[in-house]
Amino acid sequence: MSLLAIDDLAIGAADLSLVDGVTLSVEPGEVVALVGESGSGKSLTALSIMGLLADGLQRQRGSIEFDGVDLTQLADEQLRSLRGAELAMIFQEPVSSLNPLAAVGDQVAESLIVHGRSSVADAGREAIDMLRRVGIPEPERRARQLPTELSGGMCQRVMIAAALISRPRLLIADEPTTALDVTIQAQILALMSALAEEANTAILLITHDMGVVAEMADKVCVMYGGRVVEQGPVEALFATPRHPYTNMLLKTIPRLDEEPGQELFAIPGNVPSPRDWPVGCRFRTRCDRADETCAERPALTGQLHQVACHHALRGDA
Amino acid sequence: MSSLLQISDLKVHFPVRTGRFGGSQSVVKAVDGVSIRIEQNETVAIVGESGCGKSTTGNAVLGLAPVTAGRIEFQGQDLASLNAKGRRDVWRDLQVIFQDPVSALNPRRTIAQSIAEPLQIHGHDERQIEARVDELMGLVGLNPDQRDRRPGALSGGQRQRVVIARALALSPKLIICDEPVSALDVSIQSQILNLLMRLQRELGLSYLFIAHDLSVVRHIADRVAVMYLGMVVEEGPAATVFANPVHPYTEALLSAIPLPDPALRHSRRKIVLEGDLPSPMNPPSGCPFVTRCPLAEPACAEARPALEAVSAQHFARCRVRVPITRESQDC
Repeated sequence: MSLLAIDDLAIGAADLSLVDGVTLSVEPGEVVALVGESGSGKSLTALSIMGLLADGLQRQRGSIEFDGVDLTQLADEQLRSLRGAELAMIFQEPVSSLNPLAAVGDQVAESLIVHGRSSVADAGREAIDMLRRVGIPEPERRARQLPTELSGGMCQRVMIAAALISRPRLLIADEPTTALDVTIQAQILALMSALAEEANTAILLITHDMGVVAEMADKVCVMYGGRVVEQGPVEALFATPRHPYTNMLLKTIPRLDEEPGQELFAIPGNVPSPRDWPVGCRFRTRCDRADETCAERPALTGQLHQVACHHALRGDA
Repeated sequence: MSSLLQISDLKVHFPVRTGRFGGSQSVVKAVDGVSIRIEQNETVAIVGESGCGKSTTGNAVLGLAPVTAGRIEFQGQDLASLNAKGRRDVWRDLQVIFQDPVSALNPRRTIAQSIAEPLQIHGHDERQIEARVDELMGLVGLNPDQRDRRPGALSGGQRQRVVIARALALSPKLIICDEPVSALDVSIQSQILNLLMRLQRELGLSYLFIAHDLSVVRHIADRVAVMYLGMVVEEGPAATVFANPVHPYTEALLSAIPLPDPALRHSRRKIVLEGDLPSPMNPPSGCPFVTRCPLAEPACAEARPALEAVSAQHFARCRVRVPITRESQDC
């Protein structure tokens, strides 16, 4: 059984569809990357797993099963007992995600205390130990400091410590390194991988950076316009992308081994806003393979490597 | 012949109040001795991580940051010596594109009004302006039908095109591009980079390109300067610096870029630097990189290394990699 199984999830506001039929699964210990540009619905999908959708947005249909239990059917109280214990999340902006008025040690210890796993004194000691493991120098002293006294990279380490201290089974990481510098990003990614592997924590990694995907993920799920357009094992998806969008996305990245000064490959047009999504395939207005059949919504087909396209590129499947 | 832009030994130091009640003063050396030259039709990139001083260097050229010491010469004129009129003439030739097109545009003005503004300030007549705005919109790939739209009705990529059109209005010679694509979606980034490269070819522009994304810089820049804690630690032709980095920081920076190829995940040698950037308020003595450098020796903490020539066009500031034997050069 999958650790997380999302089936036909749809999210929207009153008259607006933002996520439309997302199906994906995460196995225990697996790193799954959810990739897409702004407005693709990747962050909303993640927030809905945690039950953290903003006011005015709701789940319109579909189920989210975690360890066989449908999270969408749980009462708030029951979901709260999973959040922070079995399910943890880290966000893009470490500084604004931490409480500016609480010592970082207390924030790391909080989930242990709230979930009754440790006494206050034990939790404090475990928090210092966890801060040490995420590479914070002088953890005893740092634990008493406020987030504002730490750098952005340090704050992200604190968030990782807080998320992983209760050894969750699933960590949702929403653009965890986007706000960080590249040398700090390399540290944080290495740290997340090592800690997750040690505790067999699965990671749902939300990112727009194909480089981060290639370094971290076992499986990739590409979203466009609120839908999954392609998903599969990382090697297959990079070697033989089957959806024209994935293919173009990979081609737009300026590569370090390419002739400088040449015109870069560019996807024509703009990312349409949800109110302007075309009927049928939502990529068809920017796609060079589109024809009249694309006015009908393509289904996600295939076994391990799945694609939703009437004119998919030839692949390995 | 003088360069289009010549920055010589630029220092930008900011006083900051520290201590519990702001009673004591110290100094942040945001830029501490930077020299950069840009020729006509050339793109020079400054790369580095947050706090390295790359944006402050650009701001100093634009007059948006106070120059503590050093000279900035544009077309042979020392910018510090200019009066108000002289400065306004310089602004015709020197323009800027910032990272975030949303905050760079007035949300209540139409696109045409935003693009026309520099022309109005410089006293062009209405008829000329109308024609020039249409021409500029065409040049950056905007449909002139959109002239009466407001920024809110545009996508991020279209807004950045408006910002570029406005920067081009007065036919500048140099544009300072401060992270021009980092706020844009990946699929839009290459459209804007292609536009910038095409405009350079067609109009003979020069760019001072400030960025943290090295794969973008490698693609667009002729020369690159790598900054760390207010100093240039390596400088040279982009192709050379990327293929054969000399400074250990440049090396680490390049190896930290996540490459979009899962096959390289295990084979590639990665240098993961330890620790954070030191605070620019309290920089290490000697080499600025000494606290994180895998090659550091005790002597590195003693004196700041000079920018030494690795080859005719390539310079690095590292006493381990470029021992001081050659003639010392400071540009």
